[in-house]
Amino acid sequence: MALNDILKHMPSVGDMLSDYKSTEEMDFINLSQNKVLSAPPYSNPVENLAKLHENNDNIKINFDHGTTTLGFIYQGGVVLAVDSRATGGQYIGSQSVRKVVEINDLLLGTLAGGAADCTYWYRVLTSECRLYELRNKKKISLAAATKIMNNIIYSYKNSGLSMGMILAGGDMNQVSLYYLDSDGTRTMGKVFSVGSGSIFAYGVLDSGYKWELTDEQAYELGRRSIYHATHRDAYSGGTVRVYHVKKDGWNLISEEDCLDLHRRYEAEKKK
Amino acid sequence: MSIMAYNGGCVVAMKGKECVAIATDLRFGLQAQTIDTNFEKVFPVNKHMYLGLAGLQTDIITVYKRLMFRKNLYEIRENRVMQPERFAAMLSSFLYEHRFGPYFIEPVIAGLDPKTFKPFICNMDLIGCANMPDDFVVAGTCEEQLFGMCETLWRENMEPDDLFETISQAMLNAFDRDAISGWGAKVYIIEKDKVTIRKLKTRMD
Amino acid sequence: METIIGIKGKDFVMLAADSTHPHSIMVLKDDENKIHKISDSLLIAATGDQGDTVQFVEYISKNILLYKMRNGYELGPKAAAYFTRKNLADYLRTRYAYQVWLLVAGYDKKEGPQLTFIDYLANTLSVNHGAHGYGGMFCGSIFDQYHYENITQDEAYEVMRKCAREIQKRLIISQQKFHVTVVDANGVRRLDDITAENLKN
Repeated sequence: MALNDILKHMPSVGDMLSDYKSTEEMDFINLSQNKVLSAPPYSNPVENLAKLHENNDNIKINFDHGTTTLGFIYQGGVVLAVDSRATGGQYIGSQSVRKVVEINDLLLGTLAGGAADCTYWYRVLTSECRLYELRNKKKISLAAATKIMNNIIYSYKNSGLSMGMILAGGDMNQVSLYYLDSDGTRTMGKVFSVGSGSIFAYGVLDSGYKWELTDEQAYELGRRSIYHATHRDAYSGGTVRVYHVKKDGWNLISEEDCLDLHRRYEAEKKK
Repeated sequence: MSIMAYNGGCVVAMKGKECVAIATDLRFGLQAQTIDTNFEKVFPVNKHMYLGLAGLQTDIITVYKRLMFRKNLYEIRENRVMQPERFAAMLSSFLYEHRFGPYFIEPVIAGLDPKTFKPFICNMDLIGCANMPDDFVVAGTCEEQLFGMCETLWRENMEPDDLFETISQAMLNAFDRDAISGWGAKVYIIEKDKVTIRKLKTRMD
Repeated sequence: METIIGIKGKDFVMLAADSTHPHSIMVLKDDENKIHKISDSLLIAATGDQGDTVQFVEYISKNILLYKMRNGYELGPKAAAYFTRKNLADYLRTRYAYQVWLLVAGYDKKEGPQLTFIDYLANTLSVNHGAHGYGGMFCGSIFDQYHYENITQDEAYEVMRKCAREIQKRLIISQQKFHVTVVDANGVRRLDDITAENLKN
């Protein structure tokens, strides 16, 4: 059954598909041009895709909106920290999602919003970055990588993508941090937190952040911020992963279960 | 989001051999935000009976208080302890009284008969349709998960220790798959000569 | 929406509230008092619909005073919170529901300090720390990190400053000044305001 049949009640805009006549042809095109997606068989996907959720109990698209991710720059580089929970509504789909994407030896990105949106476009970005390397015989800069991502996202603006990403990486002789989202924002900054738990993460992050942090202090600040967010936000949890990004590459610092962190921090509080 | 899931939380009760168990999580939240992790949704009714209420917190308090008022009045008037069956009937009528403007709660009752010590469990929907099975009853935001856990773990004629382990595992593993339940749990094992109350250490995310 | 914050210690409760009175897209007034002194040992901080908060808090406070006149003794903080909740819950199921969010703080020689969180649905819980409003959402993780059982008044005031600083940094709505009031065995005391200027020091 074609999607169009299920969505009879929605206004169909066949014209959008006219470039690619058959679904077979469509498959082929995505294989070679991964930035081209099948056009929606109806107008205004933001509104009409939502109707898909409401009116058809048998069709369920699992969107992951609950997350806490953060990144900040300090004297020793960038720290990225994330939780690992995926939710579909109030149901916890997974406690072991990897929300940091390792793009290459120098670049990392975090994942928040629609899980499928983020993973797909990170896969595209990863291949773009590798192609850049092969064409130009040098590693892509973070500025260029984020601009590629931003251009792709921007071309899909208002079609209902949901993403909030923090990208960090070594950039010639410095480290930098970018925030990108599906509204088309691309901006450089010092401290970012994205996701439903970000409001709680900021509470801890802002009161502990300063440029002069040592590496250990920075890891702990990132870890603690995510931990407190998982405690307060129902849609964040699982394990806390902390990454350190330096000029010459990144390192995975720690992966700790929230339960272990809770026991440790509670014990510290009692002293 | 449904008003029943505004605060989050769950309750489960099980029958054992000459004993019953009831358990509650401890979260109090406002949708995604966890406000406190010390809200017990199970309340004592009398020596051998506990009432668990899942749903909107304001109504949990209101229903519990109003129900205790009616139950106390009954016990004073009759000069005897209320049986679980009577209590369930009273609760059912009370909820149906508000058929057109219901309290947003799902009750669970667990108790022993004050004379025969026969185990009793019961749950209802928000307008008082009672269900009194032989095994277990569940309520709250992770109802489906609880059903799954209870169906696999529950066995007939469990001793109190066994029942404690079963209800604890059922609740813990059920709310670990629910974003808005958990943050600690409390288990009550009701036997004819004693009630054992245990707090469980759980995930806090 | 505005912010009210409460912290309970071993022998006191401290409340903070921003002092803006918003109206449409502007600030009508910047020295509004949202922490109402009900008696020498009872405070209610209220936010929500402008008309409702004043009406409801006055109704509650006058009835609590009336109770004292009739009986010769005061309603304790637990009873006062319960009375407040009961009224709010009863009005909730009428056509005249009050849109108010409250923190009821009190000190009793026997019961000790008591801080009660009440929202507009009359969801009620006795808490160690709590907050309402958009600004309140930023405070949760700060409480979790810095609040502990034996927190002193000075430390609690410092936590309030941390909350205010975070709200002024991250919340899009401007809240320049916070009133702070504490209730303990010595009664009710107003502390120094927390302002954007003195937060710089």
